[in-house]
Amino acid sequence: MTTTATEGPSQDGPAGSRGRPGPGRGGPRPGASPGTPPGAALAVLPGVLRSALAWTDAHRADFTLPDDVLEPHTQVNATLKPLGELAQLGSTIRRTTDPGAPEHELAGDLVAYAWEQVAGGELLLELLRGEPFAAYPYEIYAAFAGYGLRHEGFEALARPLTATRAWAHTEQHANRQLGLVNSERRVGAVTHTDAGAVLSRTWLGGLSEPWMFEGPSGYALTHTVFHLTDWGRMPDRVPERIDGYLRTWLPAWADGCLESGQWDLTGELLAVAASLPGPAPAALLDAVWPVLADVQHPTGCVPETGMPVEDPAPDPYPFIDCYHSTLVTAFAAALSLRSLRSPGQTDGSAPGRERRTA
Amino acid sequence: MFTTDTTATDVELDLEQALNPGEVEGLYRDSRECAYLALLAGGGALLLSPPTPRPKKG
Amino acid sequence: MDQTHASSPLAGAVHDLATEVVLALRSGDHLATVCGAAGIDEENRTGIAAARVIGADLLLPSVLYGRHPHPGDVAVLDRAVREFPPKPDAPAATAWSHWHMISTLQRIAPPPPGAAAPAVYAEPDAAWLEGAPWQAFTHQLSVLAPLAVPAAPSAVRRAATNRAVDLSRGFVRAVRRRDWLQAAGAGRWLAAIGGEPATLGLERGLDFVELMGGHDPRVTLHVRAARLMAEARAR
Repeated sequence: MTTTATEGPSQDGPAGSRGRPGPGRGGPRPGASPGTPPGAALAVLPGVLRSALAWTDAHRADFTLPDDVLEPHTQVNATLKPLGELAQLGSTIRRTTDPGAPEHELAGDLVAYAWEQVAGGELLLELLRGEPFAAYPYEIYAAFAGYGLRHEGFEALARPLTATRAWAHTEQHANRQLGLVNSERRVGAVTHTDAGAVLSRTWLGGLSEPWMFEGPSGYALTHTVFHLTDWGRMPDRVPERIDGYLRTWLPAWADGCLESGQWDLTGELLAVAASLPGPAPAALLDAVWPVLADVQHPTGCVPETGMPVEDPAPDPYPFIDCYHSTLVTAFAAALSLRSLRSPGQTDGSAPGRERRTA
Repeated sequence: MFTTDTTATDVELDLEQALNPGEVEGLYRDSRECAYLALLAGGGALLLSPPTPRPKKG
Repeated sequence: MDQTHASSPLAGAVHDLATEVVLALRSGDHLATVCGAAGIDEENRTGIAAARVIGADLLLPSVLYGRHPHPGDVAVLDRAVREFPPKPDAPAATAWSHWHMISTLQRIAPPPPGAAAPAVYAEPDAAWLEGAPWQAFTHQLSVLAPLAVPAAPSAVRRAATNRAVDLSRGFVRAVRRRDWLQAAGAGRWLAAIGGEPATLGLERGLDFVELMGGHDPRVTLHVRAARLMAEARAR
């Protein structure tokens, strides 16, 4: 489950090359440097989360699956993918927020709505019968299963398929394979390979030269962390060397995303920052969140990329161009609130900054 | 006197600018995805980038 | 600024001068005159202004190879120091590059015995560097890249040493923005001071920056300086 990176030339991004003097230029800057008031993230986060969830709630109908969703001609990316993401990110937000909080209740409602849309798993079984050798029905199912919503028939058909050699040798990028491993964990199946070995094959696991970061490697990186930590639920699964690497370089990457108007990727990087073990990277969160809050429309939606619309009228962006970034913003906001409010939520070890040379 | 064809003012203005240049405009461009090699390797099945699973045609 | 299509006579002269410094760095030939090769003498005001822009890097080949500079280059640098002193309201970076030109002259080409001792110049203010966000910090340090040479202590250098991780982030940011000149300057500082995170991959990063931005000889100048310093550190 992910989004498309901005493809092709993006010099016409909003902050850098067009008129808007805002995000990335002159405004708050990400990083551990002087200049950002502490507490800036906490000042905006509750409002950002509430408003992004309110937009999602108000746009439930756009997540509704069409009648022909199982037909071969139907675009999965415009139907099942958004719904699966609603389930995945909604369930994380539910887990991350306090019982009784309105966001907690609303997130739970949204997951329940998504589960209704797949007819309590029945539709996913139909999907799997139609495309038994595809991985994505299993991944979508795992979003629900991780939350405790299960379907016996689906698992019965998936069980022999996921025990095959072919399944274990599904050809895909390493970060996606990590997603499959995480799906297997959630369903409770035997994982088809060792997660550590897969991790070391990812862009992130290879501790790639940080100056080679761009959109595609950025999304590979964020999803590596999402799958590794089960969407921020288990920060302790991030190895120390990767923790230090991320704490060192996230500020530089977030800065570029802000300047080039890659709001969706900005949100994902913030979710990564809030999924690190140990204390929150507060300086980074304080620097970036106010900018993203500024980009958020009064109705709560966040555009995927590009210059934000100033018009306060509802629905300034087509659903397909803002639903993902809005969900990601809500998800990242919930994780950031948890991270900032309960420092050392996990093992409380010192925040690793990467060792220096020499 | 200097032997030059530009006025002192021009040179001094240019010099101030050269000594304290502002940042140049950031130029952002991401790699595109080209399925060409994937097409050959896949024996006709277009292997799209991982984030977006797509239904098979037909 | 792309100097290939010089936007002004000064930009053209800076381009020519930087090209000659690069050639001298490459050949290691200390007898060559950088300014002479670029057609600049003490009577050429645009050329002297270009020397002010290149600053103490005019003598960089001598500094890095530890040899005596060409008297003609020393004379031009000295002329640039006197001809273009920073105005009272000049930005701090201008004051610093001027200070560094003087201090380089004093170190590399001291006046002959018996001559009047040069005035002692106090270091300009550097407190602003401590408080600058890492982005602005890197940009300013990159403008002051000529100060990134061995055995040249300064408050700027101390600030760089204290903020090597911020400089490394700035290098990453500059490459992502395709600001090759800033990246080269930041990389030169890191090569001079060390202390960058191990994952930065500075050596290959600098190769990349040179290949992408090498049409600007100032980029090549910084990268070559960085390489020579890194080699010296490795020894």
